[in-house]
Amino acid sequence: VSAIAATPPRGLIDAVAGTDHKSLGKRLVALAFAFFLAGGVLALILRSELAAPGMQVVSRDAYDQLFSMHGSTMIYLFVTPVALALGVYLVPLQVGAAQIAYPRAAVTGFWTLLAGGVTMWSGFLTTNGAGKAGWTAFDPLSDSVNTPGTGMDLWIVGVSLAAASAIVLAACVLATVLTRRAPGMTMLRLPIFSWTMVVTCLMTITSFPVLIVAMGLLLYERGFGGVFDSAGGPIAYQHLFWFYGHPVVYVMFFPFVGAVAETIAVFSRRRFFGYSAMVVSLLVFTALSMSVWAHHMFATGQVTNKYFSFTSTALAVPAGIEYFDLIATMIGGAILLRTPMLFAVGFLLQFLIGGLSGIYVGSPPLDYHVTDTYFVVAHFHYTLLAGSVFAFFAGVYFWFPKVTGAFLREGLGKVHFWLMVIGTNVTFFPMFVLGYDGMQRRIADYPPARGWEGLNTMATVGSGVIALAVLVFLVNVAVSLTFRREAGADPWGGHSLEWATSSPPPPHNFDALPPIRSAQPVLDAREVAAGVVAT
Amino acid sequence: VTSPVGVTDTRLEFRHLDRLYVPVALVVAGLVLAAVVFALVRYRARADREPSARTEAKVLESVYALVLAAVVAVLVVTTFRTESRVDALAGRPGLRVDVVASKWTWRFAYAGTGVSDTGSGLGPPVLHVPTGTTVRFRLTSLDVIHSFYMPGLRFKRDAFPRRYTSFDLDFDHAGLLNGECAEFCGLHHSDMAFVVDAMAPAQFRAWLADRRATTRSPGAGP
Repeated sequence: VSAIAATPPRGLIDAVAGTDHKSLGKRLVALAFAFFLAGGVLALILRSELAAPGMQVVSRDAYDQLFSMHGSTMIYLFVTPVALALGVYLVPLQVGAAQIAYPRAAVTGFWTLLAGGVTMWSGFLTTNGAGKAGWTAFDPLSDSVNTPGTGMDLWIVGVSLAAASAIVLAACVLATVLTRRAPGMTMLRLPIFSWTMVVTCLMTITSFPVLIVAMGLLLYERGFGGVFDSAGGPIAYQHLFWFYGHPVVYVMFFPFVGAVAETIAVFSRRRFFGYSAMVVSLLVFTALSMSVWAHHMFATGQVTNKYFSFTSTALAVPAGIEYFDLIATMIGGAILLRTPMLFAVGFLLQFLIGGLSGIYVGSPPLDYHVTDTYFVVAHFHYTLLAGSVFAFFAGVYFWFPKVTGAFLREGLGKVHFWLMVIGTNVTFFPMFVLGYDGMQRRIADYPPARGWEGLNTMATVGSGVIALAVLVFLVNVAVSLTFRREAGADPWGGHSLEWATSSPPPPHNFDALPPIRSAQPVLDAREVAAGVVAT
Repeated sequence: VTSPVGVTDTRLEFRHLDRLYVPVALVVAGLVLAAVVFALVRYRARADREPSARTEAKVLESVYALVLAAVVAVLVVTTFRTESRVDALAGRPGLRVDVVASKWTWRFAYAGTGVSDTGSGLGPPVLHVPTGTTVRFRLTSLDVIHSFYMPGLRFKRDAFPRRYTSFDLDFDHAGLLNGECAEFCGLHHSDMAFVVDAMAPAQFRAWLADRRATTRSPGAGP
């Protein structure tokens, strides 16, 4: 190793072109989190508009842009990239590698994401405003007749760039697992988080190219027509879109399950229970995830509902096994309820509501009623916000000491957690009731006579509490970085290799690796040192 | 698929299925909550507590997976049966209504009568239907995708341009129902409401005869 390679770039050069996966991972998380804040501001405007019947805050046209950009920002620019960003930072460490595979390609993933986000958001500066055909942009609503203007084109290009970014990042993370594992790190000794990243990358690589194809066709349709003009055109677009759009739901889920699994095992002070069942269920889930897409299309009357209902409901089996293993790890453990563990338990209980309502909408005769209503809005916010975002915060509190060398504050963390719990449930639970009562999604206004005002006002108040919780989190980060409480290499008693190096890790990640004889090499080394097991 | 008149009562079918899925969901939620609370209370870290070294229980996990599969099988089979009834088309429906969705209103035309309603500036379009009769709907759109949704009937179906979608519905009692567009269709999506007026068959026939007479009168158009 030359002296130049051993000295990492700093400052501006690192921010633009630094190839160290830890620096890149941090930049990706920061960028995605900035999009989360931006998308959250849009949500607050939407909720203010819906607090009471009548148009008070924005115009109908602005409302359509805002809800479209809220969903698009959260899905394309926050949850998906932040999931992959966790992998960029953690997977090389967990497999005992010095660097991510194809680091320069990974850096383009950052710039492509930034370009995609800026392109999509620049639609707000155009005459007709930003993309306003929902995050799904169904044809023919998204064609140039029904949604004229450059903003919609910019949206399409932005989505394509974000998808390209995800494919590149997923390829790099997957290649790292396949080619850069340390001696002794067999596939069946991968930490659970790294396994969840493997399946996430597989789904990304197989499904996101189809999204880029759909966006390309849509752009051509808008420019020249003739793509979706036949009787089957609009349904063909939906097939292409949802072939991406359902696997992506699990791309936005698995890495966070992985973060929760690591958190639960470490804070229950025992090895993860049911490792092999978990790995098998992740793989089964991934395989099934590629054949459930048309459950978004039950109400079209143009798909084989029974087949897609069967595959979707069958997901309950691997999902149930994952839940079993997570809870079985807690039972028999010695549980420490620190902030990461609180968020992990919050994830378990709240995602459950999202998962069970998912089984419900997987039944076509039930879905005929609730699809495209606020019931579905409640369902996917319980999976994405009450689920994935809670698990993301579990991971942030868990790995922040590793990434920065300093702890996040416990007290502020608990305030953050409880405000999030209150805000999330006050916002989204009423939406189940509203949807069941027939309130359609994506409406800018509702008639006073339907009696929906009370629950909508409640949801709006809840969204303010979520905003407050996120502010507390930002304060926590600022305070914890300014007045540091040093964490040391392994503050929690970790299991996997990222805890076998300093916090933050050196540019080359490891000075030495412990022997790797299980999925918990750091725990093994600790037990050997304590004389618990013979060497 | 054909079935005798009167079995596609979507409201009833929905209620039966809902009453299977909701209790199953509540039981599962209760079990998970109980297990998590049990773990948090019983297995909190204490000075004298050594965490279990056990890492697998393959028999238990396999049995559990089979139980899950059995629950899934019950749900799927019940769903399939219900769906077959809900999606069935009657051999001889009592009436056919052609529904045309467009930005941002509905047109209801009663096949073979020349009678139709598109609403007016004074109020939303009204869909008149007889109770106790299987009504065949033939749905299409003139522009973007809309969705013909009656929350009270627990049913919606998407309206696609350049394509007709047929389905049967029964209206089991007289009265008014809310109708909405459920698929986002642009600027006035939230205003695309309609009203369903379900009337006793005799009343419906009288209404239709009255409207036909009006329609045929000179100057009233085709």
